[in-house]
Amino acid sequence: MNTRGQRILLWTAPPAVALFALAYLVFPVFSPPLSPTLTPDQVAAFFRGNNTGILGVAILCNLIACSLVPLFAVTAVQISRAATSSTVLTYAYLICVGVGTTAFILADYCWGMAAFRPDRDPQLTSLLNDMAWFFFIAPVGTIMVQNLCFALSVYLDERPDPIFPRWVAHFNVATVVLLAPSAFSILYKSGPLAWNGPLSFTLRLTTFAVYIAVMFWALLRAVRHQGDDRVVLA
Amino acid sequence: MAEVPKASALPAEHATSWRKNRKLDQWIAFWSVPFFFNLFGLVFVPLSWMMPPRSPSSTTPNIVDFMHSHNLLIACVILTLAYGLAPVSNACYLMQVRRMSVSPAFRYSMMIGAITGAIVGMLFPMFCFGLGAFRPGYSSGVLTMLYDFGYLAFIGSLGCFCVMWMAFGLAIILDENSILPKWLGYYTIWQYVTELMAAPVWIVKSGPFAWNGLMTFWFAMTLYVSWQIIVYVCIYRAIKNQPEAELDNASPELRPKVVELRSGTSA
Repeated sequence: MNTRGQRILLWTAPPAVALFALAYLVFPVFSPPLSPTLTPDQVAAFFRGNNTGILGVAILCNLIACSLVPLFAVTAVQISRAATSSTVLTYAYLICVGVGTTAFILADYCWGMAAFRPDRDPQLTSLLNDMAWFFFIAPVGTIMVQNLCFALSVYLDERPDPIFPRWVAHFNVATVVLLAPSAFSILYKSGPLAWNGPLSFTLRLTTFAVYIAVMFWALLRAVRHQGDDRVVLA
Repeated sequence: MAEVPKASALPAEHATSWRKNRKLDQWIAFWSVPFFFNLFGLVFVPLSWMMPPRSPSSTTPNIVDFMHSHNLLIACVILTLAYGLAPVSNACYLMQVRRMSVSPAFRYSMMIGAITGAIVGMLFPMFCFGLGAFRPGYSSGVLTMLYDFGYLAFIGSLGCFCVMWMAFGLAIILDENSILPKWLGYYTIWQYVTELMAAPVWIVKSGPFAWNGLMTFWFAMTLYVSWQIIVYVCIYRAIKNQPEAELDNASPELRPKVVELRSGTSA
């Protein structure tokens, strides 16, 4: 089977990552990340003051929100190649990708909505901002399961010639542990677990960035070695 | 059977007995289902007391009080950690549809229903309650809106689950491989059509068809839980009864042997 299609899809990831990095660097809400302790009036004032920047990034992210999906889709194809009894891990992975991406889009919409009409009642602007942070930082459940499905497919693979090096599976399990603290951002307004804290914000985003880089490399390698090997999924 | 691991080239380090189970991926997915539903029940019932639902016609001070309870936040944390298991349970059920003699369109419909349902019917409603508790300073108008939105999205989201179970039921009825019993197909169709009676929760604020009503909540919930348990048992039997030779990982060397063995013993 020809793997050219998979390689083309994989190479859409670097430009996507570059655009995400750009969005991250110019997003006023992240430089530095807004504190959860701000009052509704302070939040409203912030959105009035940084209206253009927030709206611009919201529009950019609306366009690129799904741009890492091809990378995940190629991952799903490679999971389906593992010799396990069924494609249950592939389907669980795909559903998780759909759900997690939707959560990201909702976060983007909430920030965009707050900036669209900055003279709204400050209570509502603050609510939209809280909701955006909830959807952006907290819902790590799907990416955790996603990476566990990937790791399991490597561990349970009965092929004599493994598709991925074993450490890539260990690495995916490690990301599950490193991403988990973000869920607790809902409980705290200050400290390392708050949504702007080193554990919930910095560690989560760093882990995700390293994870994308490692998976990109591992997938390129797996696709290169796939050769004429058939794909089970459908 | 001593030659079998060698023939399928299993590395020696994998020789522990549970590890030899060829259906391990399906069993892990299968046993995650009760784990998930227990957490799900814990989150919505004893932890947050979101369920059984409070009344849509509660007084504003009551709503404000409830929306400020700290336990809603803890429930939110557990749900955000666990909600990724819902896709695993859906994928586990979907695997049996994949074995049926029906078009892939059935399992794709289930997959898409599962994707859309997870946010609108689970994460979003929980976040509505969590947001109220996160910032106690919100006005009562904002809190009552979150309360309504949370309950209506949780109890009133029907379409995504409807399409999922319609595809599931129809696939069972049309299947010629007898993967799941036919009566389960008819039961599933009846079940999801009955669930549709929850549609009036968007209109009425009291009585049997309100979101905490006798029909829309209690009756529908009883039907749903008992149906879910029956489906689960049927799925267990379907995984257990799947012949080894039919598995995706049945090695080419093993396949003819197992078929021979099976036809020999089942004659």
